[in-house]
Amino acid sequence: MRRRTGLLSALLLVACGGGGGSSRRTLIDSRDNYDPRSLDPALSTDVPTGRAVAYLFDGLTRFTPDARVIPSLATSWDVSPDGSVYTFHLRRGVAFTDGRPFVARQVLTSWKRVLDPKVKGGRGWPLYPIRGAKEFAAGTAKSIDGLAAPNDSTVVVTLKEPFAIFPKLLAMPVASIAPDSIPANFGENPVGTGPWKLVEWKHDDYLLFAANPKYWDGRPRSDSLEARIIAEPSTAVAEFESGNVDVLQVPQSEIRSWEEDVERRKLLVTTPSLELVYVAINTMRGPLRDVRVRQAINHSIDRAVLVRNLISGRGELAAGVIPPSLPGSDPTRKGYQFDTLRARQLLREAGYPNGIDVELWTSTNPIYVRIAETLQGYFQLSGIRAKIIQRESAAAREAARKGQTDLFVKDWYADYPDAENFLYPLLHGANKGVGGNVSYFGDARYDSLVTLARREQDETRRVALYRQADELAFESAPMVFLYFYSELNAIQPWLHGFVPPTIFNGQSWITVTKSVATH
Amino acid sequence: MSAFVLRRLLLAVPTLFGVLIVAFLLLYVAPGDPVQAMVGERADSATIARLRQELRLNDPLPVQFGHYVAAIAKGDLGRSYITNRPIRKDIVERFPKTLQLAGAAMLLATVLGVTLGVLSARVPGGIIDRFGLGVAYLGISFPVYWVGLLLILLFAVTLHWLPPSGFGGLRYLALPALALGMRSIAFLARMTRSAMLDSLSADYVRTARAKGLRESIVVGRHALRNALIPIITVLGLDFGSYLTGSILTETIFSWPGIGRYVVNAIARRDLPAIQGSVLFLSAVFVLVNLLTDVAYAKADPRVSYG
Repeated sequence: MRRRTGLLSALLLVACGGGGGSSRRTLIDSRDNYDPRSLDPALSTDVPTGRAVAYLFDGLTRFTPDARVIPSLATSWDVSPDGSVYTFHLRRGVAFTDGRPFVARQVLTSWKRVLDPKVKGGRGWPLYPIRGAKEFAAGTAKSIDGLAAPNDSTVVVTLKEPFAIFPKLLAMPVASIAPDSIPANFGENPVGTGPWKLVEWKHDDYLLFAANPKYWDGRPRSDSLEARIIAEPSTAVAEFESGNVDVLQVPQSEIRSWEEDVERRKLLVTTPSLELVYVAINTMRGPLRDVRVRQAINHSIDRAVLVRNLISGRGELAAGVIPPSLPGSDPTRKGYQFDTLRARQLLREAGYPNGIDVELWTSTNPIYVRIAETLQGYFQLSGIRAKIIQRESAAAREAARKGQTDLFVKDWYADYPDAENFLYPLLHGANKGVGGNVSYFGDARYDSLVTLARREQDETRRVALYRQADELAFESAPMVFLYFYSELNAIQPWLHGFVPPTIFNGQSWITVTKSVATH
Repeated sequence: MSAFVLRRLLLAVPTLFGVLIVAFLLLYVAPGDPVQAMVGERADSATIARLRQELRLNDPLPVQFGHYVAAIAKGDLGRSYITNRPIRKDIVERFPKTLQLAGAAMLLATVLGVTLGVLSARVPGGIIDRFGLGVAYLGISFPVYWVGLLLILLFAVTLHWLPPSGFGGLRYLALPALALGMRSIAFLARMTRSAMLDSLSADYVRTARAKGLRESIVVGRHALRNALIPIITVLGLDFGSYLTGSILTETIFSWPGIGRYVVNAIARRDLPAIQGSVLFLSAVFVLVNLLTDVAYAKADPRVSYG
């Protein structure tokens, strides 16, 4: 059926000689490049899944497109003076799309389900701050001690220890609220309280959603939304140019041609995405244990040239791990300058006058391969002899997690918009290896700064701690700080109200409309 | 003949068992942790250890293999680690789409390739022959993804005749089938041409002409039929390989077939999905080969499998 509208618009296109997509009513997104793994929030870990879950479900909180956290199913919350007890006041009169009313009990059952070892999810880490959650997930406790629902519209959450940004974690897809009885095929037939309902899911092809007419925050202004799954970026571009999709994530390889085209340039929107591209330096291996060597590596490359030539200038040079758009980053900090003399001098001071040999690992992702090749060339100028080791991405990641890589080109994309989501997983001693710290960085002072920040209730003091920790990370150079990528989207002129989100699940298309030409 | 088919089907069982062993071992030799792909970037080692235990990934290999074979024997391909959907359902959903694409590509290849080959052979060195040679060179030397992108650019973006990608009716099938079939068209055209040249110069063709048969019957019934064996061989091999997933074509045209499914499964180390689809696709391949052999006998009465 849906293809008939495509046919119609194609015919109109031929008839009118352009202006495609104008007669279509459905909003169509082309940003997903693989099929969501499931529409069950409990299984959500990747971007396409997270996006779709955000259309179908609500959490207690949610993200705005510019990555602020605002109330969703919770209208407000109180925090105990010591920061360890959160009392969420729930929105009344909300119903699931199957008509069942939303009550506090479902918050408990949803989160329990995410953590339940029987569900074989294992994706429950955002809920681990809750007292007893980790024990329940490990199967050593029968219930979650820190969860209570004293009445239908109140949920009291007791944390293991104070964690000031906890409400942000509740806006993640995995913390979404589902009804209390879940059928076996819930991942294919989801029921939520979200702005959209699932109409049809053709795997590897598209997901079609219809507006939830009873959405508590007002019905979406368009009737239907389709998320197409397009694996090949050039194909997505062709669909966009044919007017068949409304939003396009411009592929990195095509950025320049879009920016230089007078017509296409008008459609572009830049979003500071929360993605850090960096080279993890394993601080436990050989010469890399010496901070001077790590600083030398940072000094040996010209990042400005790299960003200009490899990603058409669409990145902000990193001087620390906190993206410039998040509180805690220090705009005055100057990054490592390209200085081969300084690099050689640092290597000499560290006792390597003849330079060092390192293995530079990368996945087969073309952009990272090019980064690796560029770095290899720069390194040479300072006496750092790098051997590039290219592996398929799962294999490369596994080697890095096991601590087998010297240098590893990778990125980190935020789960939630907070400096903590960079400082803690990437460099805290508790996360060495599998937790995300593939630099194997372990610095007692850094760890205590980050731990203190996580507990700190006062935002100003917390941000100050973030900044100190970031400064320390910068000086210790457990990575080559490359850049924060700024995403480039193209939006059709007939689409209104679409703001590309800073965080992947921050845009639910509720207020987005499309002009429809009548012929 | 039926005894032959039966024997071949029985022989397929050990073949598939061999495939199973190789696929199983390869996956355990290849680096990359399936559990890590399940839980995402930020998991703790306790969770990973627990899941490994639950999925029996810590059992000795022969024990794991035993469990797997036992399940297969019951017709159960298991559930995906990543999506938690039954593998059989995933395959049943995707394979018909791959079949449709492969069928269309083969149809194009047969019609266009054989016609071009026959016409080329009628006047060697003539204008059609030279055109056919050009098509064959291009078809064989252009990589499929490049042809695919060019087709999209021309027929979808510039001319607006067809949709760039997606799955649907004939309009959606045309471009991917052409891109996929391109190589077969080229190859078949050359193959048919040389086989036809051989048989056109054979004695029985001269006899047929001497009998005063019309040229269309001479070419169509006498010469072509004798040239069929190499054509069937090429068709069978290409069909088998298209059915097992034309990854590039499916990716470029967003065609939701089995090729993309397998690639995604491999990227995520989704062991049950990889093993299940490899087993299924091997069975398809064996079956296509068997059909090819049967077709030999149909095409040429001298071939018999006693």
